Amino acid sequence: MKLAVVVQRYGADINGGAELHARYVAERLARHAEVEVVTTCARDYVTWRNERPAGIEHVNGIPVRRFPVRHERDPYQFGRRSRRVFDDTHSMADEIGWLDSEGPASPAMIDYLHREARNLDFILLFSYRYYHAWHGARRVPAKAVLVPTAERDPAIGLAIFGPTFRGVRGIMYNSHEERAMIHAAAHNEDVPGIVVGVGSEVPSRTDAARFRRKYNIRGPFAIYVGRIDENKGCKELFDFFQRYAATFPRGLDLALIGSAIMPVPQHPRIHHLGFLPDEDKYDGLAASDLLIMPSYYESLSMVALEAWAIGRPVLANGRCDVLKGQCIRSAAGLYYERYEEFAETLYSLESNGPLHDRLGRNGRDYFATNYAWPVIERKYLDMFEGLKREDASGAARKPIERLPGWFARRRRDLPPATEVLAGIPSRAVVTGREPSGDLSQSA
Amino acid sequence: MTDFSVRSDDVDVEQIMRQIRSRIREKRGVDYTEEEIRELANVKLEKFLDPRGVRSDLLEQFRRKREASLPPNFKFEDTTLFETHRGFLAFMRKLLKPILKLFFNPNPLIEALHIQSKLNAQQAALEPLYYEVIHNLVLETTRLGIDVKNLKMRVESMSSRLDFDERRARALEGVVQYRPGGVPPLQPPSSGTESREPRGTEAEQAERRNRRRRRRGRGRRPDEPRQGTGGAQGAGQGPDVESRGEPAESRGLTPGTADLEPRRDQTSNRDLSPVTRAEGVPSGGGFDSGNAGDRSES
Repeated sequence: MKLAVVVQRYGADINGGAELHARYVAERLARHAEVEVVTTCARDYVTWRNERPAGIEHVNGIPVRRFPVRHERDPYQFGRRSRRVFDDTHSMADEIGWLDSEGPASPAMIDYLHREARNLDFILLFSYRYYHAWHGARRVPAKAVLVPTAERDPAIGLAIFGPTFRGVRGIMYNSHEERAMIHAAAHNEDVPGIVVGVGSEVPSRTDAARFRRKYNIRGPFAIYVGRIDENKGCKELFDFFQRYAATFPRGLDLALIGSAIMPVPQHPRIHHLGFLPDEDKYDGLAASDLLIMPSYYESLSMVALEAWAIGRPVLANGRCDVLKGQCIRSAAGLYYERYEEFAETLYSLESNGPLHDRLGRNGRDYFATNYAWPVIERKYLDMFEGLKREDASGAARKPIERLPGWFARRRRDLPPATEVLAGIPSRAVVTGREPSGDLSQSA
Repeated sequence: MTDFSVRSDDVDVEQIMRQIRSRIREKRGVDYTEEEIRELANVKLEKFLDPRGVRSDLLEQFRRKREASLPPNFKFEDTTLFETHRGFLAFMRKLLKPILKLFFNPNPLIEALHIQSKLNAQQAALEPLYYEVIHNLVLETTRLGIDVKNLKMRVESMSSRLDFDERRARALEGVVQYRPGGVPPLQPPSSGTESREPRGTEAEQAERRNRRRRRRGRGRRPDEPRQGTGGAQGAGQGPDVESRGEPAESRGLTPGTADLEPRRDQTSNRDLSPVTRAEGVPSGGGFDSGNAGDRSES
């Protein structure tokens, strides 16, 4: 089997969520198929500047074919177009213009996919909202398997993405909530889809004592791993934690791992350790009492999965449907929406040993059942096998919907994407445990 | 704080969260979600704006105004008036520009429009901030209103408990025996405690009085003047309920102490002689125990 993994950026040093997800999947699927990564020369996701040479290189043994980006992102133009499509009544041409502004626009990459499609079994397109995924799905829909990594942001309300979701061969969802959201937005229930997510390279052994010695942390502590950013809910976390620390002077500390792009409060019980290597990160998770995930928007939290893999419960922001749903389905975490709930849940996890232990054990089971690499690999392979069987049976497929004509594309009759998003129901999906793999149409 | 017992292997996170929320409700009285607070904020906003029939749909008005009154801004440079993507036209304009300048000077116009463009941009940047400030103010006011309401409920609850405690204390005081002639304190509404508590025979009461006097006598220092006012602690300095309601001398009120306690003198008709008061008998005398208050007074 020959596969292409198409993603906006790729590299061992790139730690963005979807990019890391793509790298893990490519490296794992390479054990079962011939995999080539198709990506751009960009490193920076804001400018999409061509920083790497075009052509083929190998990253961890996987061939990576890079194509130059046609133009860098113009933030002013992108901002203006974003406001137009998100906040105003607009046309489909506006949306296509927005997609081009967002980038990374690389027509050469799309041409290559079109040329090579006949030699490939499937093309895995990561991140629905970028240029490569939309154009790739339109040019080679018969081979396209989409990994949307969709969050609850206004882009999901844009009309141009409906045909993509309805026209690809299959969709690998990250969570039940993501699937429910895309079904509600695009009505693509008939497209084969499965909730997969991604595994993680969690070491079998961790050394909590080494972490404590190295970073001089003695008492019990909660941990946050990720970019320290207001958009990730860190401002609220700091506010809540400082209030909690004032209420419980002998309670646990808060350790932060990750680079900070907002000021970290100077507080004797908040320890910012900076960006750490993976070994230290896993040791830190093992040394901690629990992981706090304050983010409002996540399509899948890999850190939460890693914490569960190590047997640590998670305290998540309940306003993020995905995290809330995962906490409920795994029975391995609690969630909060307000300070009072934050204080009560954190105190419960801190003080109630049996509850803490049980949630930790549930987390470990949940990870092993749903997110261990063999499970993930099997789900991908089952999906490919299922699609191949469908091809062999000669079942007729609907072609991807054509774009409207020149005049229709310019008719300003599409509602603002934020309005569309507001109409999409938002809730955690609580349907018991994660299914181990349902290739059939998702319900 | 909540304490859960985990008995079985199956942990129901939703159940735990329900328990946590009900616990919070118990503590706070009323539990509002963010959406409810927002709804209440809208109602509040209506109240703030309604008194003189002003529109209350701030958000809608803001959005509509913004849509209607804010055409897209653009940078206005000195070349803007002559810009075109058609090469020929651009060439012609450039060629004819000196002729145009013979008729009028476009520079002040360009400069004014440039400034206006900047002002527009500044204004556009400020408007969302204004809205955010107003919105947050209303939200916080609503939140504070709810907090005040909750605090009021708690104050009410505490005052009723205080009231209950006071009545209970009075009821307990009512069961204490009082000497004949003494002024009993206020009785609880359901009095009759005197009748419930037998005071004993006259002989027993006289014996108790004598015993108490003997005790006071033993505590007195030899150099202390023996006055009619026996020694006891300063009035009201301890829960000596037995002495309450007794005449001043039997309660051991010294003049100095009496001066400190004018209300007691008036109410219990003390027999403090005017001489004693005028001479100001040195305090510290006539006590069987240290009376810091009196000493400090002298």
